[in-house]
Amino acid sequence: MGFIKQTCHTALKPVRQAYGLLSENKRVQYIVCAALFAAMVAGPLFLGRYVIGVMWDAMFYMLLALGLNIIVGYCGLCDLGYAAKFAIGAYTTGICIQTFGLSFWLSLPVSVVMAIITAVLIGAPTLKLRSDYLAIVTLGFAEIVRITARNLEITGKATGLHSIERPSLFGLQLTKTEHWYYVFLVLVVAFIFISYRIRNSRFGRALAYIREDEDAAQAMGVNTTRYKLYAYMIGAVLGGITGSFYAVRMASISPTTFDFNQSANILLAVILGGMGKIPGVLAGAAFFAIFPELFRDIPVVGDMRMLFFGLLLVVVMILRPQGLWPERKKR
Amino acid sequence: MPLMQIQNLTMRFSGITAIEDLSFHIEESSITSLIGPNGAGKTSAFNCMTGFYRATSGDILFEGESLLGLKPYRITQKGIIRTFQNVRLFKNMTVLENVMSGAHSISRQSVFGALLRHPAERREEREIREAAEYYLGYVGILDKQNEVAKNLSYGDQRRTEWARALAAKPKLLLLDEPAAGLNREEKDRLVALIRRFRTDFGMTVFLIEHDMDLVMKVSEQVIVINFGTKIAEGTPFEVQSDPRVIEAYLGTDE
Repeated sequence: MGFIKQTCHTALKPVRQAYGLLSENKRVQYIVCAALFAAMVAGPLFLGRYVIGVMWDAMFYMLLALGLNIIVGYCGLCDLGYAAKFAIGAYTTGICIQTFGLSFWLSLPVSVVMAIITAVLIGAPTLKLRSDYLAIVTLGFAEIVRITARNLEITGKATGLHSIERPSLFGLQLTKTEHWYYVFLVLVVAFIFISYRIRNSRFGRALAYIREDEDAAQAMGVNTTRYKLYAYMIGAVLGGITGSFYAVRMASISPTTFDFNQSANILLAVILGGMGKIPGVLAGAAFFAIFPELFRDIPVVGDMRMLFFGLLLVVVMILRPQGLWPERKKR
Repeated sequence: MPLMQIQNLTMRFSGITAIEDLSFHIEESSITSLIGPNGAGKTSAFNCMTGFYRATSGDILFEGESLLGLKPYRITQKGIIRTFQNVRLFKNMTVLENVMSGAHSISRQSVFGALLRHPAERREEREIREAAEYYLGYVGILDKQNEVAKNLSYGDQRRTEWARALAAKPKLLLLDEPAAGLNREEKDRLVALIRRFRTDFGMTVFLIEHDMDLVMKVSEQVIVINFGTKIAEGTPFEVQSDPRVIEAYLGTDE
């Protein structure tokens, strides 16, 4: 084990040095961010449909990971059923459009309200207890949501909802992969903005105090139960919004999309990237979307890609238990 | 009226009585100490006063209002701040962020302020930061403000905790064994610092300690407990010569 650690340590030295340069110079940071953003904007002009599809997938995971990051990364709560939050958004939008004939944009606030209601229903009784209980309750609730969706008439039972009408924006109906690429790019930027604003505020610090030491946070006057509920609600709202957009992007949703695997993947993306650190969370989510694709076409390895994926996760967790993104050094 | 009154406080944990019928009061602007041998019930009393334990019976009055049944954060909002026996900082956050937590109970911006960052929010953030920097300077570790708390030396972690408590501008500062782990010289500086807390900020200080020497130097009023009950109360001089206190600390000469 020590040998592996040593080898990786030496191999990653240039990466660390590059990061050191990056973290010290604010201007370089801005330039890198701007360049990345420009590349993302210009991407669809040069890239094929398949690559755009994979990048859309990555952005979709980024949204989910950023939402869950508020709950897990910022506040230190363990949520094992994040798929339920995004299922509720997706089904709410699907039902609003198909059953009630609402437009997509009107279904969005309905999703937000539904997300808040469910978050309060689950959070209010459990968040008073120690944080461990939340893990069990969220896990159970996610299964309840999935099984309910599979059995109700209004959610389309096991087949789900199909041919959900695509929304239009400024008279343009959003049908092409490129359209959705840009919609999700805007969402990612918005979620990053929200995450940063929360992180650097009295509210965000209070969440971090709870994560670090709940008793000490109480002793400093933080109403821990209420702040945990707020974090949980914000996470649920972001998940719900993502779910709504997912429903109209895919035009069809079914219960299998929202199983435990999905919740686990999102949680792993957050942990892998380094809880609470936004660039890390983004990298973790991108990694989750892109990695399985990279190995798809290689014979033999392609069939075992999930095995390699698992191994890689284990190695990362041994080498960097705090996640991929480096620890913040002295500023 | 005393700032805080403890009346017939009793605390039982399934059969074990940690505190029995304890009564004392803390005068405004005084430095009062609660002392006693290990296991005498000092920390239990402290936890009852700060809402971490719920007293079995009796009452705790602060400015005439009962604190019984209030959650710790509510008690903090009333102007009572505690420190912890074994320093409990937010380890992975910077020293500055740690001290900024002190201002939490006296500021109010929440989610919408965070997202909108309107002028009132910006002003409050600036005030919190400036206050935190001021108190870091006051305890003498302003130069360490951007270090991660867990990387600090033990002495500096203690200072961070004091700065954090001061930033809450408490009326009553409760120190749980502030001298634990400090050397002789640091203890002397602590005595001076506790006196300064009062003169500079007008706060009342209450400490629990088993370091007799420090208690006798710093406090005006001393309450001695053993096995959960009060055995003596008075000025350091009175307490020191009380035979029951000597017995509790040194044992009886059979």
